Amino acid sequence: MSGEIDAVYIYDEHNAPLVEHIYRSRPPSAAAILPLYLAHAAPRPSLLYLPGTTPPVTVFSTIQSNLLFLAVSEVDTEPLLVLEFLHRVVDVLEEFVGAPLLSSKIQANYDVVAQLLHEMCDAGVVCNTEPNVLQEVVEVPSWMGKLLGGITVPGSTSTPALGTANPLKQSLATASASQGPAIPWRRSGVRHTSNELYVDIIESLSVTMAPSGRLLSALVSGTIAFTAKISGVPDLLLSLSAPGGQQALARKFELPVFHPCVRLARWRERPGELSFVPPDGRFILAGYEVDLLPIDPGLDQPPSHMEKLFLPAIVDIRKSLGPSGADFEVRLTLNTDFPGQTSSSRPTASRSGSGTSTPSFLGGGSGSSSGPVLEEVVVSVPISKYVRHITDMQASRGDAQFSHTSGLLEWRIPTTRDAGTTSGTATLRCTVSGYPSPDEDLEDSLEDEDADANLLQGYYEAPTSYDPSSNSTRKSRDPSKRKKKKKKSSKKSRTAEETGDAPGDGPSEEPVKAKTPSPNHSKPQTPQPMALAQPSSQLPAFFAPSSTPRPTPRRTKAQVNASLMPNSASVSFSVRGWLPSGIKVDSLTIDQRRSRGLGESVKPYKGVKYLCVSKRGVERRC
Amino acid sequence: METISRISSMLETARELTLEAAQSAASNRSSKVDYGSRTYSASHIKKLLDSRQEREVLDGMRRVISLMYYSEPALTFFSAVVKNAASANLEVKKLVYIYLVHHAEAEPDLALLSINAIQKSLTDQNPQVRTMALRTMSGIRVPVISQIVSLAIKRGCSDMSPHVRKAAALAIPKCYRLDPNTLPQLTGYISTLLGDSQYFVVGPAVTAFLEVCPEQIDLIHKHYRSLVKKLVDMDEWGQLATLRLLTIYARKCFPHRTQKIKQAVTAKSFYEDEQDQNDQSDGPEYEVPILDPDLELLLRACKLLLQNRNSAVIVSVVRCFFYLAPPEYLTLAVGPLVALLRSPQDMQLIALYNIVTVALKVPKPFTKYIAHFLVHANDPPHIWRLKLEILTIIFPHCGKHWKGVIISELEHFSKCTDPEMVRESVRAIGRCAQGDVATAGMCLRILLNQISSLDGNLVSESLTVIRHLIQQDSSSHTQTVIQLVTHLGITTNPDARATIIWLVGEFAGADPGHNIAPDVLRILIKGFTDETEIVKQQIVLLGAKVYLHHLLQNPSQESSEPATSALQPPANLGQEIQYEWSEGQSEEKVETDEVQQPEEVNEESEDRITLLWRYILLLARYDTSYDLRDRARLYKSLLASPSSTQLANLLLLAPKPVPHAPSPSETRKDLLLGTATLVVGQDAGIHGLRGYVNLPDWVELGQEPSASLRTEDIKPEATTLQSSMTAGERLDKALREYPSIPPRRHNGASAAGGMSGKKTLDQWLDEEEAETASETETEGETDSEEEETDSEADDSEEDDDDEDDDEEDDGDDDDEEDETDSESEAVHKEAQQLLG
Repeated sequence: MSGEIDAVYIYDEHNAPLVEHIYRSRPPSAAAILPLYLAHAAPRPSLLYLPGTTPPVTVFSTIQSNLLFLAVSEVDTEPLLVLEFLHRVVDVLEEFVGAPLLSSKIQANYDVVAQLLHEMCDAGVVCNTEPNVLQEVVEVPSWMGKLLGGITVPGSTSTPALGTANPLKQSLATASASQGPAIPWRRSGVRHTSNELYVDIIESLSVTMAPSGRLLSALVSGTIAFTAKISGVPDLLLSLSAPGGQQALARKFELPVFHPCVRLARWRERPGELSFVPPDGRFILAGYEVDLLPIDPGLDQPPSHMEKLFLPAIVDIRKSLGPSGADFEVRLTLNTDFPGQTSSSRPTASRSGSGTSTPSFLGGGSGSSSGPVLEEVVVSVPISKYVRHITDMQASRGDAQFSHTSGLLEWRIPTTRDAGTTSGTATLRCTVSGYPSPDEDLEDSLEDEDADANLLQGYYEAPTSYDPSSNSTRKSRDPSKRKKKKKKSSKKSRTAEETGDAPGDGPSEEPVKAKTPSPNHSKPQTPQPMALAQPSSQLPAFFAPSSTPRPTPRRTKAQVNASLMPNSASVSFSVRGWLPSGIKVDSLTIDQRRSRGLGESVKPYKGVKYLCVSKRGVERRC
Repeated sequence: METISRISSMLETARELTLEAAQSAASNRSSKVDYGSRTYSASHIKKLLDSRQEREVLDGMRRVISLMYYSEPALTFFSAVVKNAASANLEVKKLVYIYLVHHAEAEPDLALLSINAIQKSLTDQNPQVRTMALRTMSGIRVPVISQIVSLAIKRGCSDMSPHVRKAAALAIPKCYRLDPNTLPQLTGYISTLLGDSQYFVVGPAVTAFLEVCPEQIDLIHKHYRSLVKKLVDMDEWGQLATLRLLTIYARKCFPHRTQKIKQAVTAKSFYEDEQDQNDQSDGPEYEVPILDPDLELLLRACKLLLQNRNSAVIVSVVRCFFYLAPPEYLTLAVGPLVALLRSPQDMQLIALYNIVTVALKVPKPFTKYIAHFLVHANDPPHIWRLKLEILTIIFPHCGKHWKGVIISELEHFSKCTDPEMVRESVRAIGRCAQGDVATAGMCLRILLNQISSLDGNLVSESLTVIRHLIQQDSSSHTQTVIQLVTHLGITTNPDARATIIWLVGEFAGADPGHNIAPDVLRILIKGFTDETEIVKQQIVLLGAKVYLHHLLQNPSQESSEPATSALQPPANLGQEIQYEWSEGQSEEKVETDEVQQPEEVNEESEDRITLLWRYILLLARYDTSYDLRDRARLYKSLLASPSSTQLANLLLLAPKPVPHAPSPSETRKDLLLGTATLVVGQDAGIHGLRGYVNLPDWVELGQEPSASLRTEDIKPEATTLQSSMTAGERLDKALREYPSIPPRRHNGASAAGGMSGKKTLDQWLDEEEAETASETETEGETDSEEEETDSEADDSEEDDDDEDDDEEDDGDDDDEEDETDSESEAVHKEAQQLLG
């Protein structure tokens, strides 16, 4: 176990090697690694061991904006260290090269990329990943630099204008370097003409619902992103609040992680107060999670009292509809009555909330709207790969698309304001059709098998395989009840079969029977001779001749279609200006006493943004 | 924790991003075309490099670096680039250095030309230049210069800039790789740097230690406490290395002591009975580990790291607690470990592997976070597989509510269309039943329901799990077997059929009261020719078993009243004859039978079961599969003489070992947390990946180094005061004294300088120059030092060798064990296949 990285490779969207940076020894080249990496099936694990290369290597991978980042190591290396490093590489490259990382941008800035990769890891040992420190060491030939004649002007606009004189800058560097950085994450001598501070709280919601609609879990994972464009060495205090006061916040704000700049002692003393000297630029200040549905793990009974949970979008799915059971219906309920963030004590509890909820923006928000906005509503339904295509997609709102390659039915619902109110219910009804030939063959054999099943029926309840009602009764956990119910249900199913399903499958079954494969042909006949041969009453009753010799075929079209039905649906959405946890930014202040290099009169512009994201997060099983 | 890039992409609307991507894709296509024009011709670049204008040189260097990344030949520029190594321009220098590090190995002679210029930069007044020079020099992979590098490191170790000292620490492993003979000098440098007051120097020093001389644990003793104190303030990468080191150190230096603590008096009444029997103890004794105060110091420091943003640090802390600390510490770390599931998917996977390993040992604390492990529809296979496993591991430890939820979740997933998922979730249900007896019945019912499913895959998986459950508790499951028989008609899946038939032979044939086996056999024989081979095998086996049971129950009546026995159905017979055969009896019988045998053959042939058996043999004899024919022949000869059933009894009716389906990750249980080997598992080979070493065992009591070694010899006042503060506090202090220089700076400089004390910069530089002048001298000195230390080193190397041998021996033992294990397993399997 060690922490050594032999090489970092970056591939572009067409899997062509883009960057190949080798740190130590002689690992296999980027071109040699790639086919071995791609040889693994599609969702590839982030750690792969390739014993076939010389020397054998472990490959760590992450994919960011269509670029594939690989790190290679010959020896046992802590996987999370390598992956963290790769993510830092991504972050740093984005910071230096520009936000969505594109292969063209990287190619245009190869010298910067080289310097960064060289600086971040020294001979396989990760050594320097703080963006602020890297800014001091690696200089970007910015557009400004180019204007001034390509001579080294510090790339970031914020540094004091030193002109083109290198010595001066060097002497500054000398000063800071000889003493060691006072604050390892903040670069020295930050100057900004306009001072700005932004807090973005992003919560991603993931909710699981049982088929009955009962909530199984509701988790929120939150991130506080911070943008500091402020001169000198500011000392900031960010206080958060949640409905219910500081105690509630401490309880809610579970399992937090913090940027090293946050004073942990202060947080422990007074939860909700983040005191820190920020790095310059954009960074993740903290991460946390909130369990919106805390259930005691030792609980024996289903929780009697459950907090009501407000969800802006709920999806429901009903399947096996229509005459042949080939339809399913997705029902989406949108609710934009966001519980009042200001008045109610518990944001999740009161659905009634005052309609005039306003997001709290400090010093003027960035959003244009006054209330939370529900956007990008997409319902995704994973479709079995046995489904050939989906016909008849009828959506009451929006439009649906089925992509066979991803096996996903996506239904987008427009939520723009002009389309009227977003709240309400929308439905999508689809008809599936499977692949005909192999399924029908299967049908035959199974159908013949079922003959036997019925023979044994008198003794033990015959399996009522497809009837959903019987299936549900079987789930009942009481064994004594179960038997009775099953008997009933089996009868029910048989009648249903005879009455309801028989006409439906009649015509389609006929040709099928004709080409019944021979191997199983003898099966249905077995019971009869047996029964004759052994009339003894001592035998178990299931051999009794009472059973019907030729039962009705059981595997109907409905059954086939039932196997094609989706078994879950999930909805993605984003809400600007609302957080499911109810956490808010109370205040963001600059501690003037402790801050340096910032004029007393400077009043930085402060902005707060709340965003709730659910990436296929609200999931309904069925 | 989310990364900033992912958060940014969430904040930007998707449309904006795709727009830009599309634009660039369009421009990319065109840029591919003008790619040739953007990078000039080789001669042009050479001209730029040779230019006297810095600007042009810089431009040229940028192009060379680009060429390098385009994997175009950039080696041709080597001489032109090397010339610029002495450039005064920092930017040019940086690029030249990057080029040198990349290509020096290919052109060692030319690279040597640059050494002089680099050496000059080592004494530059700008620490950044010194850092770069030291870094580059050690990075040039030309073994000849190892001594020069070693010297440069020596100077770097006492540089007053912590950045240079950090570079020196980072250079140590590189120097060692260049020439392992420099080890004695390097250990000296490491020792110096480990004592550095700057926390970001110590981190790389620890890394160097781990790479160069991990066995020389003696070096650590006097730095132990300061390392622990600095742990909180180091950067993440330093923390990782230090945690790695200190975990090993703790195992080697703190013996595992436990104390027996008697239970409190209040609990007495509960255990009154036991006390009566066991007078001398006042209640159950608990073994409580006694923590060495120094170990506790480490564990406390680790606790502060649990809010770290780096997931690797969290796992390292968990590892530290897992292997070193009493359980209450681990409980603290479980939450942060689970919180790693918030990170991007690639890290989730690794986190899950670690969670599984911890949960296998201490499942209880994870029940609190059970909601985190619910499988989502968009989880990729490698993620849901581990989530399912965790659910089953913590299943026995949660309340009925969650148990119900887990079971219905598993049931839900067992009905999905992905065959892999079906298999895993059915197996998971089986493991749930295995882990918690109370819910076993419920699980079995669910599985029995699955049998009637149309999904053959689900059916066969369910049956395998059912078989395991029945085998584990066969006495209470006779009814289940009968119930299964009813499914024989429905299932076409050969595996499922084979399993049911086997179960019938195993559990429904023995008990004379409910002997349905012969009837099942009879029905099956009708369709014998249409069955697949494995089913046929099982039918033949069932036949053999039925016949054997028949023989076992009937031999006596063959002699006494053969006529009636032959006519009566076997099930009935079984009830009549209920005495058991002890071995002695049967042997006697055998002897007596042998005499009578010839006369009885005719009568016996009328026996129905015998007829049935003959019929099976006949069917099998003309089967197309030679394997089946062989098996039939084997059974035939086994059961050839109805009187000597002993051998057949041993072979066919031997009690089968109860199968235990372990959690899939059970095989990884002993691998070290946080390693790549843990994730790769068995594929990594028996010793794990290269470089994988498990933690050493706890040191024996009495063998540990004295605690007094760890007392720091430096005057403690300043350092303790300073290091007891957290980074935040120190920062406050620093800011309070702003703009005067923060106190840490003083310390850094003085400690680094060592002998230099509080000199001014100029004085310091002067001395440095003097040093360069007397370089040759020092070189000589170090040589002699080296000779002295060489002998020591040899000794230690021998020791190392010994230890290595030991390790290898251990490994061999393991091999053997494994082999025998696997052998016995194979034998088992074969036997099972043969016998059913």
